[in-house]
Amino acid sequence: MKLLFINNDGGGFADYVQVSDGMTVEQFFKQEMPGRKAEDYLIRVNRQPVPRDYVLQENDRVTLTPTKVEGAQ
Amino acid sequence: MNDKELMHVANLIQEAMLQLRKGRYLECMRQLGLFTSRFSDLARDARKLGMALSHDWLVASEHTCKAISGHLTEIPYAVSKLQSLLDRRPREVPSLCAIVDELRSLRDEFDDVAFNAEEGALCVVTDPISLEGVYLGRFRIALYLEKSAELYHKTAYYVIAIDPHPTAKDEAVTHPHVSNEMLCEGDGAAAIRAALEEGRLCDFFTLVRSILTTYNPDSPYVALSDWEGVSCYDCGYVMDEESSYYCSLCDNAICDQCSRVCVDCGEVVCGSCAGLCEICERSLCPTCAKTTCIGCESVCCDSCLTDGLCPECKQQQENEDEEHEDEQTNEKPETDGAQTIRLGGRLARGGIQAQADHTAVQPDSVGQAAVSSGPIRG
Repeated sequence: MKLLFINNDGGGFADYVQVSDGMTVEQFFKQEMPGRKAEDYLIRVNRQPVPRDYVLQENDRVTLTPTKVEGAQ
Repeated sequence: MNDKELMHVANLIQEAMLQLRKGRYLECMRQLGLFTSRFSDLARDARKLGMALSHDWLVASEHTCKAISGHLTEIPYAVSKLQSLLDRRPREVPSLCAIVDELRSLRDEFDDVAFNAEEGALCVVTDPISLEGVYLGRFRIALYLEKSAELYHKTAYYVIAIDPHPTAKDEAVTHPHVSNEMLCEGDGAAAIRAALEEGRLCDFFTLVRSILTTYNPDSPYVALSDWEGVSCYDCGYVMDEESSYYCSLCDNAICDQCSRVCVDCGEVVCGSCAGLCEICERSLCPTCAKTTCIGCESVCCDSCLTDGLCPECKQQQENEDEEHEDEQTNEKPETDGAQTIRLGGRLARGGIQAQADHTAVQPDSVGQAAVSSGPIRG
């Protein structure tokens, strides 16, 4: 199924991705963000917070926004 | 914001997004204009070079070549900037419905969301922020909708400290990564721009908040370790309050390098309040700096004064005294060298005789005698 994935970590690109049916948001995170901790991100599906075992649906919009972003001077 | 206000703000945001889309093309035009002007400059300099060579003006030729080199070095930068603008994907302007959804999720994400109609700014307020034990307070993130249309060459938002706790070094730095209400986005720059271009307002504000709640010790305006403390009044060095001195006159804090100790009374003063002995150039407090030489009125410390005089005036006085003594010695009269005139007379040897050299008498007169010209002795 197709999802709109907005990754605000880095370039902030929004792209459509294909994922397997029945994938949970936790599984999706581990797939797209290997080695990262979920607690370091705001994870929103269709602009709403969801539990980790939420099953993703066709055309869902998944947004990952890091909670720790280093500024500069 | 209630739903009616949400719709109104959503309309304004959509208009701003349309202007932003147009703004990208306007910025491309501007950059293209700058780029082509470089070629005009090169063409002009080429003509200059030709003219200089035709007159064998080699110095002028060298100057022109340097100018051409300057234009050439700027071209790659102009190309790069223009290319990055052209390469950006065209963004669809979000629908009104999508923008309203964004505003609703923004309301869920932040406790304080408001639209300042006077300034045309969508604002959110963060929770109080502390980084590594340093309290910084709450911040208002204000997105100016008109400025967002000029995103490509102006900042569209400001980060305003609501209850500022700026660093002691610089009151404009209210956060390690905020100076003069502008956030240095660092690693978040690309994501913030993409969020604004696509109208993902909630993503934009949460990214800014993420930067505000993260400390990057490698690149702050002011490090948190130097945040608090007292700033030296003279040099601006930030020091611990315990390490600071205080001027006894103006009460300003000063570091140990800038503090001055009065050589006469030992008081600590700052550079602005300190006076200076004009002879030995040691520091004096304002009170002791009132002591002056009675001769030339130079400010002097006690140890440089002798009988109230500075060394120069003292020397001058001694020289004058010596001269005066010399003058007095020269004016005394000489008794051994006084002139005496012999009158002659009965007691003189050989009877009364007139000294021929003193007389002016007429030989035939009676009753006249020679009278000497000397003093009359009684």
